[in-house]
Amino acid sequence: MSKSKKSDPSSSGVGSLFLGLTSFFTSVRTTIGVLFLLAAASVVGTIIPQEVAAEQFQRGWSSFAYRLIVILDLNSMYRSWWFVLLLVVLALNLIGCLFNRVPMISGEWRGIGRKHSFSFDYPDAGAVDAVRASVTDRMTGLMRTSPQTTTVDHGVNLVWVRDRFQLFGFPLIHLGIVVILLGGVIGLFYGVKGHVQIKEGETKGSFTVTPSGETRPLPFQIAVDKFTLTRYSTGEPKEFRSDVRLLKNGNVALQGSILVNHPLTYEGISLYQADYRPVGLKDVTLVATDASGEETKLALRPEVPVQLAESPYQLRLLSPNPRPTGQSTVPEISVEEPGQKPKRISIVKKDQTLAKLGDKELRFAGYSLLYATGLQVGYDPGTPVVWAGCGSLLVGFVLALFTNHRGVVVEIRRTASGSSVHVSGRSKRLRKEFREKIELAIRDGMEKPQGR
Amino acid sequence: MISTDLNTYVTFGYLSCGVGYLIAYMTGALASSVRKWMLAFLILLWCVHTSAIGLRWIESYQMGIGHAPLSNLYESLIFFAWSMALALIVARFRFGADVLVLLGLPLVVFTMAYTFLLDHSIKPLIPALQSNWLVAHVIACFLGYAGFAVSFVAALLLLVSRASTGLEKRLPSHHLLDEIVYRSVLVGFPMLTVGIVTGAAWADYAWGSYWSWDPKETWSLVTWLVYSAFLHARLARGWTGRRMALLSVLGFAAVLFTYFGVNYLPGLHSYF
Repeated sequence: MSKSKKSDPSSSGVGSLFLGLTSFFTSVRTTIGVLFLLAAASVVGTIIPQEVAAEQFQRGWSSFAYRLIVILDLNSMYRSWWFVLLLVVLALNLIGCLFNRVPMISGEWRGIGRKHSFSFDYPDAGAVDAVRASVTDRMTGLMRTSPQTTTVDHGVNLVWVRDRFQLFGFPLIHLGIVVILLGGVIGLFYGVKGHVQIKEGETKGSFTVTPSGETRPLPFQIAVDKFTLTRYSTGEPKEFRSDVRLLKNGNVALQGSILVNHPLTYEGISLYQADYRPVGLKDVTLVATDASGEETKLALRPEVPVQLAESPYQLRLLSPNPRPTGQSTVPEISVEEPGQKPKRISIVKKDQTLAKLGDKELRFAGYSLLYATGLQVGYDPGTPVVWAGCGSLLVGFVLALFTNHRGVVVEIRRTASGSSVHVSGRSKRLRKEFREKIELAIRDGMEKPQGR
Repeated sequence: MISTDLNTYVTFGYLSCGVGYLIAYMTGALASSVRKWMLAFLILLWCVHTSAIGLRWIESYQMGIGHAPLSNLYESLIFFAWSMALALIVARFRFGADVLVLLGLPLVVFTMAYTFLLDHSIKPLIPALQSNWLVAHVIACFLGYAGFAVSFVAALLLLVSRASTGLEKRLPSHHLLDEIVYRSVLVGFPMLTVGIVTGAAWADYAWGSYWSWDPKETWSLVTWLVYSAFLHARLARGWTGRRMALLSVLGFAAVLFTYFGVNYLPGLHSYF
């Protein structure tokens, strides 16, 4: 911003505004400022609870803080206008800097306008050919590349260049960030996230969008065959698994399991294991013992009547009536006998003796739960764009940090007594070390032919 | 378990090494032979530390729940200390500043000692952590943190050296300290970037979203933003000395909060 004030006051208003904006968006000061603002804002977002209705802040927060939260959307800060604006300024700033920098790369690639960071002379070297041979030998060994040689009047120029592609480090890193932000924007506009809860044995073809809460249809149906919760011997959960079939027009399009860290993707829509909930009983196992002590196992499923063998009794597991309080209900069994009023028995504890029916004693042996699995539904066409950006960022880092664009120019000129040598060089990284190495190699190369 | 005992020995080893460095420094006896022995001792300790981590890995397989020892706060602290010790050794070779090790070792000792307070039993992996991304994500993050820790130590030294002329004579030159502050971040920053990218890839795979503004994610971004401001200030604006040192301290504060402080905020990274 400070730069915009410096623009020429005599130029037209529009022109100076344009210049001011240009210098604002190409300035690294802007970058540093925006980076700090983004950091500070992000911190605020981790302190103030996010995605919570603003009214909830009326209690426990001062009225000033409450008003600030409402005005600045601090309860959904990362989607607020001003946070997005900061990201837009960052993106424009990055693009501005790229526009400034990228056109120079082709020139630097060809070696135009290269500034040498050091140079030194040897006014009194030996015979041209001998110096040339020994310097070439030393330098080629050091730079691990052969020189470009140009013959000029009274001498020769030797140029060694390494790792020119480091020039692409800067644009790849900064372009990567812009692409990641672009991917985020695509996801914001075209992506959708939601949740669906499906009971075992049920099929659903729609989901609830988060955070809006609206219901949207899926292009396919999800049939949940089974949900399994496996535990380690220590009791900690080992695996959450939903076995599903995805149906398209009534036909199975895809069958598979959804686990944590193992989503299922079909037609670009991914399904993730998010949570689970027991919603009822899958079955109850009873044991009937007759007078002789012989045991018969009975598995009762909700609302499916089962005849107790060699008796007039019919047993039925009642579907639990959901209670408004959400408490778990005690499972009940209805015992029906022709001509009699059905009798209800509540199951309270394991190995409970439930009833004596004729000569048979009925005992509760076990149960299995019916689960509903919670699946997260995600569709985000921006994701591949984000990965492309990350790739560009990481390749850029490798080029910028693990390669070193460096070059040496050795100019040998014939003089009356032999030759003079002018050495100049530059290095993007480790300048001092590079200079020392070059000096050592050149000095070594100078001394050898003279000593011969 | 043997690996836990080894960690205890290593902790006291680092402590005695730190005390040794301190005595050598106070008596002005950082003579080259003493330095060499102290450094050799540190490297030996680090090797034992490495084998303790490897052994814990093997032990987990012997228990039939084999997984990399990077799955809870105890294991991550051990690895954090390991990374910092490695970074100190590398920085010692690169810059030749023994004072860096002297001031860096307390960080290592404190981190190791903190694990004494934690449950050190090997637990099976919960479903959320059963992923190949775990190893890459955790290693990249902690190597990044280790780079920032070295930068932080050098920054403290630089600030102290500028404040007191008495100590200035006994510390490395301002120029060298400034270089260490900057170059350590130069190594740590891409590591943190890799850590965040692998974390995002993992999150996309496990939670269906590469970025959810979870407090740990957000704080790692804050750290990243602070250090990128640091690098831009240095590379484009030519900042050096005190201002860079202060930025380095600020960045490391963000690192520590990302690692420890975030646990006091609700979020998805609750197991670390």
